[in-house]
Amino acid sequence: MNRQRWFSIAAILVAASMIFAACGTTPTAAPTTAPVATEAPTVAAAPTATTAASNPDTIIIGTTDKVASLDAADAYATHDWEVIKNISDGLLTWKPGTTDLEPDLATDMGTISPDGLTYTFTLKDGIKFGDGTPLDATIYAAQLNRLLTIGPKCPNDVADTLAVPYVKSITAPDAKTIVFQLTKTIAFFPQILAGAPYTATDPAIFKADACNLFPTAPIYGVGAWYIDSYNPDEQMVLKPNPYYTGDLKPTAKQVIVRFYSDANTMALAVQSGEIDVAWRILSPDQLTQLKGVSNLTVGTINGGAIRYLILNHTMKPFDDPNVDKAIASVIDRNEIADTVYAGQVNPLFSMVPPGFLGATQAFDTMYTAPNIDQAKKYLEASGYSASNPVKIDLWYPPEHYGASTAAWMQIIKKQIEATGEAQVNLQAQEWSTYAPALTGGKSYGAGVLGWFFDYPDSSNYLDPFVFNRGEGTNVTLPASGSLNGTPINDKAKQLVDLLNQADSETDLTKRADLYKQAQDLYADLVVTIPLFYQAEHVVYQSYIKGSSSYASPETLNIGPNILFYYSLITKSSQ
Amino acid sequence: MSPIAIIALIIGVPSVLLLAYVFARGSTGLRRYILTRIVLTLPMIFILATMVFFILRILPGDPVSSALGPKGTPEMIAHIRQTLGLNDPLIVQYGRFLWNMVTLRFGNSLVGGHRPIIDEMSERFPATLELIIPASILALLIGIFGGALAASKRKKALDFSLRIYSVIIYSLPVFWLGLILQLFFGVRLKWLPISGRIDAIIGTSLKTVTNIYSIDALISGNWPAFLSVLQHLVLPTITLGLILSGVFVRMTRINVIETLHSDYISAARARGIRERVLIYGHALKNAMIPVITLIGLQVAILLAGAVLTETVFSWPGMGSYLVERISARDYTAVQSVITVFAMLVALISLAVDVIYSLVDPRVRY
Repeated sequence: MNRQRWFSIAAILVAASMIFAACGTTPTAAPTTAPVATEAPTVAAAPTATTAASNPDTIIIGTTDKVASLDAADAYATHDWEVIKNISDGLLTWKPGTTDLEPDLATDMGTISPDGLTYTFTLKDGIKFGDGTPLDATIYAAQLNRLLTIGPKCPNDVADTLAVPYVKSITAPDAKTIVFQLTKTIAFFPQILAGAPYTATDPAIFKADACNLFPTAPIYGVGAWYIDSYNPDEQMVLKPNPYYTGDLKPTAKQVIVRFYSDANTMALAVQSGEIDVAWRILSPDQLTQLKGVSNLTVGTINGGAIRYLILNHTMKPFDDPNVDKAIASVIDRNEIADTVYAGQVNPLFSMVPPGFLGATQAFDTMYTAPNIDQAKKYLEASGYSASNPVKIDLWYPPEHYGASTAAWMQIIKKQIEATGEAQVNLQAQEWSTYAPALTGGKSYGAGVLGWFFDYPDSSNYLDPFVFNRGEGTNVTLPASGSLNGTPINDKAKQLVDLLNQADSETDLTKRADLYKQAQDLYADLVVTIPLFYQAEHVVYQSYIKGSSSYASPETLNIGPNILFYYSLITKSSQ
Repeated sequence: MSPIAIIALIIGVPSVLLLAYVFARGSTGLRRYILTRIVLTLPMIFILATMVFFILRILPGDPVSSALGPKGTPEMIAHIRQTLGLNDPLIVQYGRFLWNMVTLRFGNSLVGGHRPIIDEMSERFPATLELIIPASILALLIGIFGGALAASKRKKALDFSLRIYSVIIYSLPVFWLGLILQLFFGVRLKWLPISGRIDAIIGTSLKTVTNIYSIDALISGNWPAFLSVLQHLVLPTITLGLILSGVFVRMTRINVIETLHSDYISAARARGIRERVLIYGHALKNAMIPVITLIGLQVAILLAGAVLTETVFSWPGMGSYLVERISARDYTAVQSVITVFAMLVALISLAVDVIYSLVDPRVRY
């Protein structure tokens, strides 16, 4: 056979395989058997479906998030925490769909010493890891101590934010009791304790002396699921933990988390039925389009993601309080929400979003924006005028917070310049350059940033911005060994004191009052300028349901803490 | 053995055999030429890797601050930079980078899970190979046969149509074509999957060895997985293949037309040989020589096209990996990927030269 004939045969084979593939099994003809990944694959058992709908035992969740770490002593990202909370439990947890706390592995909410420095919990009986290994307090405390020992050496370093500043020691006096000794009294410690870093980890997988960001599957915890297999760029397969004794028993036989590099592809995937649920992060345009698709539901979760302007008070012209107040007086948040986001975001008048303890509308009360006359008065008090306008460099990252950022930054520029006494030079910079330049406190005077809480408490919307050091606003760099720097002026000192008091106040009414006062001072100092808060959205097929036993079934029981419990979703047969 | 080692063997063993064959059968000039090319390839990759290393560090931006955003306190940033070795003097970092390149370990990623680059590439590189090989075949099939057909029907409607096709398809943006195909075949007709390399559920039953899923499915006899992989390949392959086919259509057409004017073709025609045999049996074979050169040159364009195709189809290959890591300033990942791409282009370019010498015995080095 000559070379040309071989070439022809190869060409025909390739073309035939393409046609064969194109004419392959259509979605509607698919059988429903789900394979068991731990078993050797067999041709007979393997399903041939190409859509999620036809497999009632498997729920496929799409996300554009990536796994950065599966080690609870290291992970510091929303999606990592979601996975960790699904495969393991902590002493306390949030009731699904809410930020209300309830005991999880603990028998009750624990006891607090009178000085507020010691928390004692008793462990429930019969807790086991997914491989059948029992969990007792000694093992649990030893694993939690990883946060204090190796945690700060791990790459994502959650420990330096959520453990080291607060926890002095974690001990187990007996097999049932765990004791936390804190470095200072902090009223919100139970909220921190309910988070992923404080879940029980398997000592066989997560050793005491090493971070293990990507352990080999299977990965067991004491939660409702275990990770059966995963490929960080493609998908993660979770299966029910056979030893799970908690309240959130899975109904599906497996959950597959499918990773997308492009939100638009994920939107098309949920539209075409390749996935059951699209969860984080779709753009307003994509959501608008998906809302019009029959068989799809778009659930809106009023989460805690906020956008704000940061003004560096150590740089000109923002070291002048009148300039800061003038900007705060002109920003019309409703125009941004309506014009750019078609009402899909909500105006934010305090850094603490509505629904959190003591949240106020401090910026609205104080500046009644847009108030151009008032802004002019502030600027004129500092000697600015139409012939001598204040010059402002305003920075933003064009992609990191979505393609709409440029549009609403233009609106802010227009609003500031409407005073006639300000010139705004709007500048875009790619995120990896922008972030260090802005937060480093030395290069950019003003820019936009986003924030999402580490734990659902008002303190996490105020403390980081007042004690922010690098951003150069209200406190100086701390001395070695100290947690907080020195406030830059008397009002800043008053604010720092108020927040310290609020953080340690256990009486909720008094604490709320302290936060209210703090927000007033915050607005007066214009530490940052809150702009709007964004809802999160989950898009799901009509055959997917949340649990009616818990809050927010319409958002698949995802509450303001943005925690998705995979156990609570069910899938009806097609 | 890691998947990337298996793939290196799959590519390496035939390459070495080919070289051995050429060395045994080729002229002294050819042997000298190949040796010179190999020797020159090494400093070329070294210079390129060095340039990438320093350019990345000259660019503003920092992987740690970028990853932490507003949550990064100065202490955290300093600590993580220290852990990752970013506080070391530049020359120390450069030395470490070169050593990692020489040993093909590539170091660890600076963002996300800080995984070894070699592990990440083991997952990503096979995916890219699985995409670009069928896309290249498709581009060549359309290009060569389309070009020959256009030449045989010169100045007729089919010729004009194919010329217009080649211009339009070459100028289409990859992401646009991909999106249109996704919307039509995936969303509207629901015939084909629009993302990923294999169905999510079927993928759980696939045991991977090479990470080239079609091969893995064949090895394990997992036919549903094989079918699913083919289904998932259709749209990205067509997208990338069609875009690349335009230039091949034009190149083949011109070369076939030129060859058809040669004396030996006129002589053959005078002897009464049928026109189809003349074109496909004689002219096309000779017209292929410049096309082979073009194939070598198109490798870099193919990889660039793969970057966009992979992003549009959420295809977890080297292209989408490069895009993700450039924006995160993941120095080690970016410099490793670019070095591997450079090695690939150099290797294929060398292979093309060698094949060229085999195809056209008139070529002297």
